[in-house]
Amino acid sequence: MVTLAVSSAWLLRASDGALIYEAYNWLTRPLQPGLSREQQFENSYILELQQRIVELENQNRSLQTMADYEAAAVREGVRAAVIGRAADHWWQQIVLNRGSRQGVTVGHVVTGPGGLIGRVIAVSPSTSRVLLISDPTSRVGAKVSRSRAMGVVRGQSNNRVVIEFFEKLPDVKTGDVIVTSSYSRLFPQDIPIGRIESIDLTKSPAPEAVIQLSSPLPILEWAMVHPFEPQETVDAPVLPGAAPENGAIPENTGRVRP
Amino acid sequence: MTSVARVSSRPLWRQPWAVNSMVTIASVLVCLLLLPSRIPGMELLGVAPHWLLIWVVAWSIKRNQWQGAVAGLVLGLLQDAMTSPHPTHTLSLIVVGVLTARLQKQRYLQEDIVSVALIVFAMAVIAETVLALQISFNQLVSADSLYPPLGSIWLYHQRIALSSAILSSLWAPALYYPLNRWWDRYSSDSSTL
Repeated sequence: MVTLAVSSAWLLRASDGALIYEAYNWLTRPLQPGLSREQQFENSYILELQQRIVELENQNRSLQTMADYEAAAVREGVRAAVIGRAADHWWQQIVLNRGSRQGVTVGHVVTGPGGLIGRVIAVSPSTSRVLLISDPTSRVGAKVSRSRAMGVVRGQSNNRVVIEFFEKLPDVKTGDVIVTSSYSRLFPQDIPIGRIESIDLTKSPAPEAVIQLSSPLPILEWAMVHPFEPQETVDAPVLPGAAPENGAIPENTGRVRP
Repeated sequence: MTSVARVSSRPLWRQPWAVNSMVTIASVLVCLLLLPSRIPGMELLGVAPHWLLIWVVAWSIKRNQWQGAVAGLVLGLLQDAMTSPHPTHTLSLIVVGVLTARLQKQRYLQEDIVSVALIVFAMAVIAETVLALQISFNQLVSADSLYPPLGSIWLYHQRIALSSAILSSLWAPALYYPLNRWWDRYSSDSSTL
């Protein structure tokens, strides 16, 4: 009896709890939000559009000087409803009601009304689990849209994120828009993340700034899952002293491309 | 003798032990399905009650420490399946199971609902502390640890432990009372039959 219980629990663990999440999805189906709830996020959409405009203006400026500009690689994705949160308090995760049957795989990028939310870390046939960018183990390569100052966005486990800059004196002001950078291996570039709320330049070892996320993570009900293939190697030169970003050391991302 | 013969002549799904294990497994399943949900009124600072911990306490309160440890191991593995295996929940739930089972022997507390709520309060704090210790250990030992510095881990631990303990102890009777009633009835049933 004991071995049966332990081995079945172990089996469930090995499958990342896929069976439990399938049952959960089936049970909560009547409670999942309808399309009309979208209106609540109108403000966030406007904020996202404003930030995209700032980003586009800056891109335009830099396009004139840059010869080999690459277009942002965000493709249209699947719409998914948020049906659950992390099963423990130490993790910042959400559960979406789209899974491998809808073409979602591990590594896909998730955005919400307002901008970047996180990336898919586990899928079952009709649900997927997303590690939010506010999780303490999440790292996102990011830049200040105005001045192109680079940094790493780190979660703080309480729906707040901070950006750690690589430079000692980054060109940054409160209100600056933060977007994902082209150095990011696990996220496509130029997705809005949020705005600078406060700056602490005296912080050691690297200057830090608190970011106000543009997507309302605690009350999120809808998200978009974008197909994205995380890159193992980047052709662009990596900044000296750049920390391993995105919550994963390249060997550990689990996806090896042929 | 006759009673034993009568019991074994029943179909499998009517036998008391089968019904009892089905009810037990179903209650674990209900707890698992409650974990990712954030039902209004069950949430404090973004933290929901720790249903598996309440279940382990309810299970171990009238059993010995080995049974408590096994329950902690199984439910810990299940919670690992639903979040991530590092740091593991098995350790904290095994500690909770063993401690609860040992506590009962000393007869400091009666088995009423108030003392169960108190036990759950203390155990929730202990469970979160075990998790925070694991995270701190990982932070200290591995050079490329992804976790924040110790100060913020323990600051976060304070907030989580307190809200989880308050919520879990308030919701503990909702799970403990029916489960305990059922196990009592089952044990009295199987002794009379």
